[in-house]
Amino acid sequence: MATSETEKSGPGVSVASTSEFSLFFRIKPGHASALREALRALQNTPGYQPGDYNLAIATIHEARFVPFDDDTRLLFATSFDGPWDAYMEDFLTSGSTLALFDAVFQHVEGYEGLPDLAALKAFILGAQRTAGGYARNYPGTVKEIRKALRVNNAFQRVLDDPAAADALQHPALKPLLDEAAD
Amino acid sequence: MSAPTATASLRLEHDDIQGGVLHQRPSPYVGTYLLLRIDDRRAGRELIRRLLPAVGSASASSDPAQDAWVTVAFTHQGLKALGVPKGSLDSFAPEFRQGMAARAAELGEAIWRQDCYQLPTGRTSFGFKDGIGQPAVEGSGIPASNPLERPIKAGEFILGYPDETGDLPPMPTPTVIGRNGTYIVFRKLHTRVAAYRRYLRDRAADRKEEALLGAKMVGRWHSGAPLVLAPDHDDPELGGDDTRNNAFLYGHDRRGLKCPAGAHARRANPRDALDEEGSVDVRLHRMIRRGTSYGPILPDGVLEDDGADRGIIFVFAGSHLKRQFEFVKTQWLNDGIFIGAPREQDPLVGRPAGNGAFTIPKQPIRRRLREMPPFVVTRGGEYCFAPGLGGLRWLAELTI
Ligand code: HEM
Repeated sequence: MATSETEKSGPGVSVASTSEFSLFFRIKPGHASALREALRALQNTPGYQPGDYNLAIATIHEARFVPFDDDTRLLFATSFDGPWDAYMEDFLTSGSTLALFDAVFQHVEGYEGLPDLAALKAFILGAQRTAGGYARNYPGTVKEIRKALRVNNAFQRVLDDPAAADALQHPALKPLLDEAAD
Repeated sequence: MSAPTATASLRLEHDDIQGGVLHQRPSPYVGTYLLLRIDDRRAGRELIRRLLPAVGSASASSDPAQDAWVTVAFTHQGLKALGVPKGSLDSFAPEFRQGMAARAAELGEAIWRQDCYQLPTGRTSFGFKDGIGQPAVEGSGIPASNPLERPIKAGEFILGYPDETGDLPPMPTPTVIGRNGTYIVFRKLHTRVAAYRRYLRDRAADRKEEALLGAKMVGRWHSGAPLVLAPDHDDPELGGDDTRNNAFLYGHDRRGLKCPAGAHARRANPRDALDEEGSVDVRLHRMIRRGTSYGPILPDGVLEDDGADRGIIFVFAGSHLKRQFEFVKTQWLNDGIFIGAPREQDPLVGRPAGNGAFTIPKQPIRRRLREMPPFVVTRGGEYCFAPGLGGLRWLAELTI
C-alpha cells in the first residue's frame, strides 16, 4: 500500500535507494550578500565543517548550495536515501535543523516562512527540476557506507598487526585474505 | 480553524469520544466485526439512531471489562450513502477519501462478518501476547505504560486537539462530525502459523533456541516480556506485569544485541533508537492499536498447515493515516533504509519483495536468517472514520 510501493521514491532520478534532488531558486533582489553570509554561517555550523561528516539529516550523502548567474539564482543539489517527503513533518518539527535551512531560504523568492507543511512542499516542488542524467559510483545508503568504512578501518588495523598474516590463513578468512595484499 | 483555548487543549471531551478508541479491550474478550452496506440513507440513519444507546463514550466506564460495547466507524462510501453533503465529504483526509483499495496493491475479498475471540492462551496465533505497546495519550486520564516517555499530544489520536506539531490535525467539516473523531484502519491479516513454526524449527537446535529466534523477530518473548529487559530468556512475571512490561527504551542497546533493530516491535516503534538521527521524530509516527485474534488456535507442536483461517484483525486508531499508519508500514516495516539494511523487511509482516533476510546482532558474531517466507497474508481491509457521539447523532439526523 501507499508511497514506496505505488509511487516512485521522489521526483528526482533514483539509483537503488538513493535519489538526486536539485532545487533552483531566484535570489531576492538585494539579498545576495546576506545569502552568502547565511551560507558561510551554515558552513561553520558544527557537523557541516570539513571533516565533521555529521549533517543534521542522516540520510543525505552530500549537499551543496551554488549561487549562480551573478548571484541572482541559487542551486541546492543533493543525493539522499529513501522517499523525499516521508520525513517532511519530522523535518518541520526538528527545530535546529529547520532553522539552518530557514536562514538560507529567507533570501530566495517564493518562501513564505514556516511552518506550513503544504506551503513548504509546494515551495520545494516548485523549485525542483529532475536531472537529465544521474549516475552513482558506489551502491549503498549513508548508513551502509558508514558501516563499510568502519569495517575497513578495523580491517586495516588488523593488517597493521604483525600477527595478521598468520591469523588470516584460516580458511574461514579467505575472502579477507584476498583483500589483504594491497 | 480557530485556535483551541488552553483548557480545551488539556481536557479531552471524554463523553463525546467513542469508548473503544481510548480504552483497551478487556482480556479475555469475544467480539464481532460487522461490515454493513448502506443501500438506503434513511434506513442507514435509523440504524445509527438505534445503535447510539449501545455506543459507549470514553467516560462511561473506566473499566470496559464490565460491559459489552460497540464502536461505529464509516468508510467514505458509507458516509456518502448516508447523504453527508459533498462539502463535508470532500473535507476528509485524502487517504480516507481514496479508500484502502486505491492505495493498496492488494485488497482481498470483502469481509462481511468476522468473529474474534481471545485464544485460550491469551496470545495471538504466533504465540505472542499483543497489544502491550500503546502510546500514552495526554489528557486521557489513562496512566502511561511507559514512564520513560512523555505522553503523546491527544491531537495525534483524537481530532480537535493540538497534535505533536502544535497545530490541530486536519479535521473534516462540519465541526460536529470531525471533533472527537478519529481515523480507523482495519486489516484482516491471515497468519501462516505452520510455516512460521517450521521455519524456526529448521533453524533452531532445540525448543529453547526456537523461542529465542521467535523473540528476536518480535522484540518480545511469548509472555510479552521485552527483550531489552529480559535478553536471555522469557520472564513471564515481567511479561504479565503491566507496570513494567512496557517501561523501556532502546538507547542503551544501539547495536541491537538485546533487541535487533529489525525486530517487529522495534521497527514499529523505535522509541529513542533514532534520536541521534536529528531529523526523525518518532512521536509523529505512533498509533493506538486495537487488534484482536480470529480463527482457531493451531495446537502446540503442529507443524503442518491445517487449512484453517487464523490471524489478527489489525485495528489502528489515529489522526493521521499517512504519517502514522502508512508511514510506519512503508518506511519502517516494508523498508530497512532507516536501520541500515535497505533490503531487509519486517520479519513478521514484511512482504515477499524483501530479500527474506533478518539480522540478529550477537556476540561474537551476528546471526543472519535467510529465505524467510512471508508469514502474514493480507486478506483485506479498509480506512474508516469513527466520529464522536455528537457526530453519530448528526449523521442520524441528516435530512437531505
Ligand atoms: C499479523 C500481523 C501482526 C502481528 C502478528 C503483530 C504482532 C505484534 C506483537 C507480538 C507485538 C509486540 C507486543 C506489543 O508491543 O504489543 C507487536 C507490536 C506492535 N505492532 Fe504488530 N503485529 C502485526 C502487524 C502489525 C502492523 C501491520 C503494524 C503497523 C502498521 C503493527 C504495528 C505494531 C506496533 C506499533 C507495535 C507496538 C510497538 C511498541 O510500541 O513497542 N503491527 N505486534
